[in-house]
Amino acid sequence: MTRIVWLCFVLGLWQPFTLLGAPHIIVHPSVPVEQLSVAQLRSIFLMRQLQWPNGAPIRVFVLTTQSAGHQQFSKECLQLFPYQVERVWQKLTYSGIAPPPTELSSDMAMLEMISATPGAIGYVEQYDERYAAKVLPLQ
Amino acid sequence: MGISLWLMASSCYAHEAWHWHGYVSQGLIRAQDSNFVNNSGDWSSELTEFGMNASWQLQPSVRIAGQLMYLDGGQRYQKGHRIDYLFVNWTAHSSLDWQFDILVGRFKNMHWLYSSTRDVAMTRPLIVLPQSIYFDAFRDIAVGSDGVAIQSNHTGSFGELELNWSLGATPVSREQSRLVLSRQITGETEQDYVQQLSAFWRPVRSAAQYGISLLDSDFNYRADATDPYVHAWFNVQRFMLNWRYSAERFELSSELMQERIDATGFLAPNFKRVQFAQGAYLLARYQWTPQHAFIASIDKFYANKDDRGGRLLPLQSAGLIAPFFGYQTDLAVAWSYDIQKNLRLKAEMHWIEGTGRLGPNVVPDIAINRSRQHHIMALQLMYWF
Repeated sequence: MTRIVWLCFVLGLWQPFTLLGAPHIIVHPSVPVEQLSVAQLRSIFLMRQLQWPNGAPIRVFVLTTQSAGHQQFSKECLQLFPYQVERVWQKLTYSGIAPPPTELSSDMAMLEMISATPGAIGYVEQYDERYAAKVLPLQ
Repeated sequence: MGISLWLMASSCYAHEAWHWHGYVSQGLIRAQDSNFVNNSGDWSSELTEFGMNASWQLQPSVRIAGQLMYLDGGQRYQKGHRIDYLFVNWTAHSSLDWQFDILVGRFKNMHWLYSSTRDVAMTRPLIVLPQSIYFDAFRDIAVGSDGVAIQSNHTGSFGELELNWSLGATPVSREQSRLVLSRQITGETEQDYVQQLSAFWRPVRSAAQYGISLLDSDFNYRADATDPYVHAWFNVQRFMLNWRYSAERFELSSELMQERIDATGFLAPNFKRVQFAQGAYLLARYQWTPQHAFIASIDKFYANKDDRGGRLLPLQSAGLIAPFFGYQTDLAVAWSYDIQKNLRLKAEMHWIEGTGRLGPNVVPDIAINRSRQHHIMALQLMYWF
């Protein structure tokens, strides 16, 4: 069994990310979604999915790409390394397919922005219930 | 704090439909013993890339995007400005598991690993990409098309699947034709059409991505009265496989291609040749620290898979064309240093054997490209926003 796991790892068929201590996914209360799968979350944060199911535009916010929060979010929630995420954003930005997400500097700024922006989605390391942002569980 | 964030949110609302970005890069390059950059083999500053792009969200499902860029690569490609892309993007379907987009206008080639951003310095792993796949003399023809394209993304239990299809044509300038066909041409080249299809698949919880792409294209060449060549028709068909493996500190990527070229005319009215070219590269990138990365690649190209050593070339050209025009092997190493978040310095060195991927490739430049072995050194500073 160990050999099979190692073989899968070497061939790239399995990527050992964990969800321990993962950041909280937060959205504006108007967002008509109650949970997301990792693949759906990835579609949104890789700017492939630009609308919510009700047609409202998705507004994506991320922490500064070099911050520990973003690094953790990329690896544990998107199950991608930060350089992979950034490469997709650059590809989409410079081929005209989609704009990159908006960067914010802190959890507090993220909570404020998500609470104030209809259709917004982002993430925080520490959720604060005083804000109107809604937490989305990952499937 | 609260007021400023409210103002920022309002500003996002007001300007969210409008985005603009850009990049500028300048470098120094020296290609010794070849005509890759210039004929002298001296250091050159002809390594300039500048681009500005903008997009406008007209409606939730309709966007317009365009990019104007300026390129100076010496003899690698045509110098000057061009509209890299300008298209309308209609999102025909958008659900959490499936997105379907239609693009009309001039769009980028999304079918290969680096094709859509080969002209954007900081997105390339190397200053000079593996020429077997990303042949610089063909850059303007391969980078995009005028026509219609479809992009579709699916997610599910199988993982992520991206499907792309495009049909269009690219205007070909005389300078561009000279880079590909011959320096002496005086006629006009036209691309009749290019149709491409590609699929990229990333299995669930996988560090690897796999891709396949197909290309079919027709060109015609109209000789004029003073032309040393005659009317010609070319059909190009390309089959490609690509693969990428991503780990935290290192990444491997590879593309393989076979290209069928069916040429009629050009050298003589009744000239006819069908030839299969092959090429492949393996590229490795190691992130040593958050700022420093090292890259190494090996790239191989054979102009004729049935004559890998190029032995037929002297026989077909009365001894004028040396066998080494039939292949090219490029071993490259590079260093990348992120000085700041949006400011990067790259340096690289290529050791090359063979001249199979030096333009022009229909009538080779035997006067300058006389050496079987040649080198490229390059240094480039790039900034983007």
